[in-house]
Amino acid sequence: MLIREAQRGNRAAFEELVRHYDQAVLRLALHLTGTEQDAQDVYQDAFLKAYKNIGSFRFECSFYTWIYRIVTNLCLDHLRKRNVRKEDAPVAKDASGGEYDLLDQVPDVRAGANPERDLLRRQLGARIAGALEKLTPRERMVFELKHYHGLKLRTVGEILKTTEETAKNTLFRATQKLRGALADMR
Amino acid sequence: MKCEWVRENIVLQVYGELADDARHELEQHVTRCADCAAELKAEQEFHALLAQDRASEPTPNLVAASRMRLQEALETAKQGSFWSRLAFDPANWLLQMKFSPTLAAAILIVGFLGGVGTMREISRPTTTAGGPNATTPTLTPVPTEASITGISSIVQEPGTNQISIKYNTVSTQEAQGSLNDQKIQQLLLYAARNNYNTGVRFDSVDLLAQKSGDAQVRDALIYALQNDTNPGVRLKSIGALGNYVKDDTNVRDAVLRALVNDTNSGVRIEALRLIEPVKADGSVRGVLMALAAKDQSTYIKSQARTMLAQLPEID
Repeated sequence: MLIREAQRGNRAAFEELVRHYDQAVLRLALHLTGTEQDAQDVYQDAFLKAYKNIGSFRFECSFYTWIYRIVTNLCLDHLRKRNVRKEDAPVAKDASGGEYDLLDQVPDVRAGANPERDLLRRQLGARIAGALEKLTPRERMVFELKHYHGLKLRTVGEILKTTEETAKNTLFRATQKLRGALADMR
Repeated sequence: MKCEWVRENIVLQVYGELADDARHELEQHVTRCADCAAELKAEQEFHALLAQDRASEPTPNLVAASRMRLQEALETAKQGSFWSRLAFDPANWLLQMKFSPTLAAAILIVGFLGGVGTMREISRPTTTAGGPNATTPTLTPVPTEASITGISSIVQEPGTNQISIKYNTVSTQEAQGSLNDQKIQQLLLYAARNNYNTGVRFDSVDLLAQKSGDAQVRDALIYALQNDTNPGVRLKSIGALGNYVKDDTNVRDAVLRALVNDTNSGVRIEALRLIEPVKADGSVRGVLMALAAKDQSTYIKSQARTMLAQLPEID
């Protein structure tokens, strides 16, 4: 009903739709892009695109799948662009010559009551983030939607306009790479 | 071959993506094959390791800021044209056709009522704003929130109590009057809560601060303190609420929440200063103890300790 209203140009109905999905969209964009600014840009572009094209939504898939398709496409573009300009990342070298991201050294102001546990959690988070960066944008996206968002691989396939079988294979490749990259942490 | 199939499907098993028969087959296999059982255990351990790192939730501030920015952009955004929809979606076109007689009737009724309204306006004697009695607001009816689409500026004439507010309904309108006028107050309250322009929100909170004795105004100031994305607006709001920390528990709770949660250290320090007179209150004491024990800011931590040290011991 809300979708039909939004298709007729009812902006309030569209804003109601936005409120149904925007926290999940922002969470996905935030985790994939890594910064609030970039996440906001993806959010903005995604919903503007949805608003302009809602008339062409033909109920062939769920609205959830449709909006996620827009968001994932924008995030994939973002990841591809970031891979190209990775050399500009603020990295430094440690004593053993290994590179690390300077941004990882910024203290997390949300630290809780246990500083030691927070430090370990931050270190683990930084290692996982580093390993995720090594995946291809598509592997990263499938892993993100499955692992962090708990979507069924069938839905992941629909969102990425591919088959469930391909999504399964991509998830397999992604986890193999991650296991290799994080082997020393177990 | 069997082991190869199992290795490829272990990750699906861990994520609960295997069909029942395949899952049964895999479970049977690992009871007989030590290598595959070890592989399953390794995958489960890896999964548990990854589960310790969860995707962080966007903060309420980020959600609010994103929504506000989107609303602003939607003002000027245009949806795909009717003709393009017609070309791509004949089903939707048929649906619209079904409602067209109703739409035509509605347009006729609105047109008729609009004409009658305009005739009445023309025949009524006009009154100019800012006439002999400058404190009388213009004679347009008090706007309802639903009819206001935005507020574009708030200006106070220097040396007078006259405030001029430009607000939009279908087109931009202007209201003039003193801070005591109901219409002016209503517009200011609306601006403090809803406007996307930070300058307008700041101006409205600045003026509302003079009326913080009114409970409705205090609610708007509390709302701004808790939800406004701009630290300057939050700082102005908390300053205006200062006199009510002692007597209004809603204000006290809002100030305590700002002290604990606000992302801006200036707002937090102001909150700490305001609760000084009520530091003996149980809820305030509890917050001070938490801050003294583990706050990120060394200044707030030490101030909280000093304030606690000044309190009598509780037996």
